[in-house]
Amino acid sequence: MSSEVSQNLEQDAVLRASIDRSLRHPVMFFLTSGAAWLAVSIILGMISSAKVHSPDFLDSWGWLTYGRTQAAHINALIYGWGFQAAFGVIIWLLSRLSRQECRAAGLILAAGHVWNLSIFVGILGILAGFGTGMPWMEFPAFCWPVMLLSYFAIMVWSLVQFKVRPEGHVYISQWYLMAAMIWFPWVFITANVLLHVIPGNPVMAAGINAWYKSSLLFLFFTPVALGTAFYLVPKVSGRPIHSYSLAQLGFWSLAVIMPWAGMQKLTGAPIPYFLPYLGATATILFFIPALTAAVSILRTAIADPEIASHSPTLRFTMAGIVGLVVMAVAAVFLNIPGKTLELSQFSMSGYGFEILALYGFFSFVMFGAIYFIVPRITRREWLSRRLIKWHFFLSTYGVSLIALVAIFGGLQQGIGQEAFDQPWSEASQRAFPYAVLITFIWFFIMLSNIFFFMHLTVMWLRLGRRSTHPTLLVSDHHGSPHGEDGDIDNAGSMTASAH
Amino acid sequence: MSFRTFFLSLSASFGLAWLAIVIVPYFKMRALEPIAVEDGDGTNAVYIPKRAGRIADGAEVYAANGCYQCHSQLIRPTYAGNDMFRPDWGGIAGDEDRGDTRRETNAFDFEREKFAPIGVARLGTDLSNLGRRVEAVYAKGGDAEKWLYAHLYNPRWRPGRRESTCPSFRFLFQVVEVKGNPSEEALDFPVKEGMEIIPKREAKALVSYLLSLKKDQSVPDSLNFTPPTAAAPVAP
Repeated sequence: MSSEVSQNLEQDAVLRASIDRSLRHPVMFFLTSGAAWLAVSIILGMISSAKVHSPDFLDSWGWLTYGRTQAAHINALIYGWGFQAAFGVIIWLLSRLSRQECRAAGLILAAGHVWNLSIFVGILGILAGFGTGMPWMEFPAFCWPVMLLSYFAIMVWSLVQFKVRPEGHVYISQWYLMAAMIWFPWVFITANVLLHVIPGNPVMAAGINAWYKSSLLFLFFTPVALGTAFYLVPKVSGRPIHSYSLAQLGFWSLAVIMPWAGMQKLTGAPIPYFLPYLGATATILFFIPALTAAVSILRTAIADPEIASHSPTLRFTMAGIVGLVVMAVAAVFLNIPGKTLELSQFSMSGYGFEILALYGFFSFVMFGAIYFIVPRITRREWLSRRLIKWHFFLSTYGVSLIALVAIFGGLQQGIGQEAFDQPWSEASQRAFPYAVLITFIWFFIMLSNIFFFMHLTVMWLRLGRRSTHPTLLVSDHHGSPHGEDGDIDNAGSMTASAH
Repeated sequence: MSFRTFFLSLSASFGLAWLAIVIVPYFKMRALEPIAVEDGDGTNAVYIPKRAGRIADGAEVYAANGCYQCHSQLIRPTYAGNDMFRPDWGGIAGDEDRGDTRRETNAFDFEREKFAPIGVARLGTDLSNLGRRVEAVYAKGGDAEKWLYAHLYNPRWRPGRRESTCPSFRFLFQVVEVKGNPSEEALDFPVKEGMEIIPKREAKALVSYLLSLKKDQSVPDSLNFTPPTAAAPVAP
């Protein structure tokens, strides 16, 4: 009996190792080029945010004017970093979950290069002054069909793997990830075709653009991050999900509520009156899918506080889920029609909320996933727990300040904007300290990610530790955190003890 | 749950919202019925604001340089915000020529544009009525175009605007040698002897567009939500 079990375990370990091996090139490509775009986005973010409070900064070149750098910054963050991190994590997770090796790694890699090329051309296009002026869709119009085709070439293999998987239970992560994979092209094609190909009423076009932004946040980045967290947390903590039915409720409430969100950004615009109210209601109701998922993930994670604090993966993932809770609170707090919606509609809380979602929630979970996946596909362990700690703490500082800007800064500025009997400079003065704060935020995030980029480069060069002991964030100095000296196994994650 | 059921439930939950808030409103609003207005001299005309030629080019310059990141173009009705009460935003309360022209944004205001630059944030003011505001307030009695050129060249140059955080758009201007008579469009900023600063093609287009942003036309009755005032003359 016990030999049968151990044989099964060994077969499992071999299968996992061969899946990791089959995907090592595309996944590493997406994660490293995603990190490079994150660096580009952070630098552009620092430049553009500095221009908000110091408008004379770097103002002699057209390609660095605020309107262009800000657009390039957010597009690099979304399509360069966000999507590529998501691609790397999705193809790896879905291969693992359908227990299939990837047989199209070369094609995925090629499509990944095409995706990168179109982002590169798009960003250059924005900076050169060919932006379309549609928020989050500023890339010149020829970019989107190329992005769409490479998206399909990257993603379709995961669906094929799911189709031919061995029969069995479909895990909640697969639901989230596959839903995101289906929603994104639907949203992307709808928005781009309606806005670029079938011109209609320009105000309704602006409404569809607002819906597109909201759908990317709630129907792509949110489900990808939640699906990843639902994989990582039980895997690392070794415990089943706290309440599986709660998790399912979270998924279906997301699917039913969130497609309606987004058009509250056009409250008062001449589009049908019910659209902004539906959008505000759906955005407020985001707390249902967010809190149900957060409760079941956090309850699973903190069941063993020691693992939760020692594992870099769990720490980043849990911080991301806390970010999700803050994001849900902000979604309720900022979108109450007649109370806070009119204050937040044209204030910096819009940007703050987006960065809270993209960095405070999504990116944190992606960092957690990267700290889990990279050792498995490179068969090397992370070099230094200090680098991970610095990445974590500085990012956390940055994100806490983002929450402050999103909620208080936005409302402060909105109150100034609505005070119509005061001069407009009153509103600008209220925004000023928060504009300075945003520059500090990007500075913190840049510092934190310097540690991350260094560490990832080392891993990419296969210079990580050759050990079977994962790098844990233990702070005591009794013995080495990396296990006993000489306890090295060149087989890496191939062995059954590493999972 | 099989993949088929999963996919169908997903399509149903998403497709319902997709139809109800995206597809149907978009195609319903695609071709707005033209509204007839009575012209001053009794002839019938159609209410469509002008957007052609250099104004359309200027809208592209506005979009490409990200003006929408800081400037909105939306006067919300009073239930959704206080934009109507800001002096000169939605029209001019005491316009010498036309009386009180304040009104909220209507669906025709962006007609013949590709995309309505509603705006992301208001780090600067709303520009819905900028053209009229420059003519009637900022550059009163002067040249509105020149005022805007100077403002784009250096937004912090005029007294009272030292605190502005608007970026300078110097890159839309060029310094050229004066040949013959100085250009009428030359800016009054210090420049080397024998040279002058003149707007490039993009700056001219942008200023045409900005001056076209006006809320002073008469609006057809069906779009006019302003309550009639007691002083309004009664038609005989």
